[in-house]
Amino acid sequence: MSHEPDPVLTNSRREAVIIGLAWLAATAYTCIYSYLYGYIRPGRPLTVADIRPVLGMPSWVFWGIMAPWAACSLFTFWFAGFYMADDDLGKDHTPELERDIREGGLHE
Amino acid sequence: MNKAPSLSTELPPVIALVLFTVVSLGLGVVANMAQRKGSFLEKYFLGGRSLGAFAVALTAAVMSGGTFVGFPSLVYSYGWVVGLWIGSYMIAPLTVLGALGKRIGHISRKTGAITLPDLFRERFGSPTLGLLTSLLVMGFLSTNLVAQFTAGARIMKFVLPSGASNWVIRDEIIATADSGYLLGLLIFAVTVIAYTTYGGFLAAIWTDVFQSIIMAIGVMLLFPLAMAACGGLANATTSGVAQTDVGFAFGPGAERAFHPIGLAFSFFVMWAITGMGQPSTLVRLMAFRDSRTLRYSIIYLTIYNAIIYIPLIFIFVAARGILPNLASPDDVMPSLVKTLANPWVAGLILAAPYGAVLSTVSGWLLIISSGLVHDLYQRFLRPTASEREVAWASYAATVAVGLVVTALAVRPPAYLQLIVVFSSSGMAAAFLVPAILGCFWRRTTAAGAIAAMATGTAVTLALYVVGSLGTAALGLDGILADTSMIGPAKGMRPYYLLGLDPCVWGLTASLAAGVVGSLVTAPPDPARVALLFDAQPPGAPAPATLELHPELRKTIEA
Repeated sequence: MSHEPDPVLTNSRREAVIIGLAWLAATAYTCIYSYLYGYIRPGRPLTVADIRPVLGMPSWVFWGIMAPWAACSLFTFWFAGFYMADDDLGKDHTPELERDIREGGLHE
Repeated sequence: MNKAPSLSTELPPVIALVLFTVVSLGLGVVANMAQRKGSFLEKYFLGGRSLGAFAVALTAAVMSGGTFVGFPSLVYSYGWVVGLWIGSYMIAPLTVLGALGKRIGHISRKTGAITLPDLFRERFGSPTLGLLTSLLVMGFLSTNLVAQFTAGARIMKFVLPSGASNWVIRDEIIATADSGYLLGLLIFAVTVIAYTTYGGFLAAIWTDVFQSIIMAIGVMLLFPLAMAACGGLANATTSGVAQTDVGFAFGPGAERAFHPIGLAFSFFVMWAITGMGQPSTLVRLMAFRDSRTLRYSIIYLTIYNAIIYIPLIFIFVAARGILPNLASPDDVMPSLVKTLANPWVAGLILAAPYGAVLSTVSGWLLIISSGLVHDLYQRFLRPTASEREVAWASYAATVAVGLVVTALAVRPPAYLQLIVVFSSSGMAAAFLVPAILGCFWRRTTAAGAIAAMATGTAVTLALYVVGSLGTAALGLDGILADTSMIGPAKGMRPYYLLGLDPCVWGLTASLAAGVVGSLVTAPPDPARVALLFDAQPPGAPAPATLELHPELRKTIEA
């Protein structure tokens, strides 16, 4: 029996690691930026003057949420459009299993 | 002063919803005709693994009753910080569809799995795990379904002519209950149960796609109307600050610490990570056509999220300037639509939230009925049941589940979105870690998966119990810090240990239990694992054989 990992497994695992890192980067940037510039916290009271609208929204919303949203969308287009592999997912064995169960027999 | 409703303002939304209902029922009939050939179960519960990119993307959009009822009320109540609450939708299409998609599709094809319990049972070779998964899926989704039925009934009540309920609901019922709500619930329940039962998975998917398109049109129509009416977002923000406090423009939110930074991080876990572990997502990952379809669906979902969720934040910030100081923030969506749009456009827009609820409910109904029929009835009671018997059992289960949920929804819970959040956390804590470990770690054992599932669920539920009852009632005052000042103000609330949502603790505990549970138990059979992890020569045996189903063999022989 072969001990070569299935190519679907190796490709999926590599892609999942990259996706995990992208999630981490998006989460870290958005949360840290928003906390630093958009949160009222002890020692940093904010007032209406701190809203500083960008396209009508508070500047922290624009730079902390909308800008990374745009960056993530661009990354996603590249990743899903050009990087992910088109793996063959193999034959669907559902009908065989259903038939075996119904007939109470085994198949090779 | 409010004007008295007239027929000219009440009729168009009703007509829009009637048309919407008729189209949904029609799609149910067409879907039934389209899936008459081939294995009934695979067609009825999985659409024959034929979903295209557009269908996967639009049905994976996490639209629900909460999106158009609970979410707008949160934006209206707490302001801009709710943008951070859904900020993880920026990366969610990639995580939810891309991280596990190919492996789930791969394993489910190899093992012949058509439901989530199937997938776990086949991957780990454990009927116990399959049964536990079935019971958990049904428990969590039933809870969630009640919230969705409530949302559907509420929207229907809002749209129905004010006198409609009097000639349908009897006087004695009116005296004890909200007759408009009951009539709305009745119409909603009949519609969704009918088309889902008759059309199965394909009906749920097609109506989902249709409804997602209507939702997008609804949001796009509402967006310019709201922007024009509020005089711009900056203006609306100033109005919101004037009506509440400066927290409307900043974190953690207006008038209370709705979304402190610990919760902001938690919700990046909540939507983008726990979304992978939802049964409805995992089922779709078994149903897409091929890898190329998956890739395109990620792109389509990214576009869809951007054009739906960002405008929704803007619209309901603007609502503060248009409808100041609403008594019931849950009604902000329909109130805004009725205020801004002419009745015909309002009808179309109000159909959007109705569609969101319908599409969510239809998918979940099928997951629960598939659990009853395929994972319990066929697996443990009647494995040799004929195709016809299984078909009738499936129809009966779908109707029965719908009726039970309708009965439970007669007394609606408060603050819908929180119930959705509770179920989401619970399901992810139960299913995500077994799914990830099962896909990528060959050393994972059935015992490890059961430990992960049980521990994740227990930790999440424990934190909800502590939060709901309060630390004082449990005598934990001196041990646990008070977190009642963070998060939403009312409804079912969890205990935010160290300021983090239970989903973070549930997943962490589940991962630890899954790894430890696997390492302390005997390794799985290498030959069985190799069938799912190693490249196989042509003609190699499929993992989907009865030899790997001892419980079936036992029942068949009996």
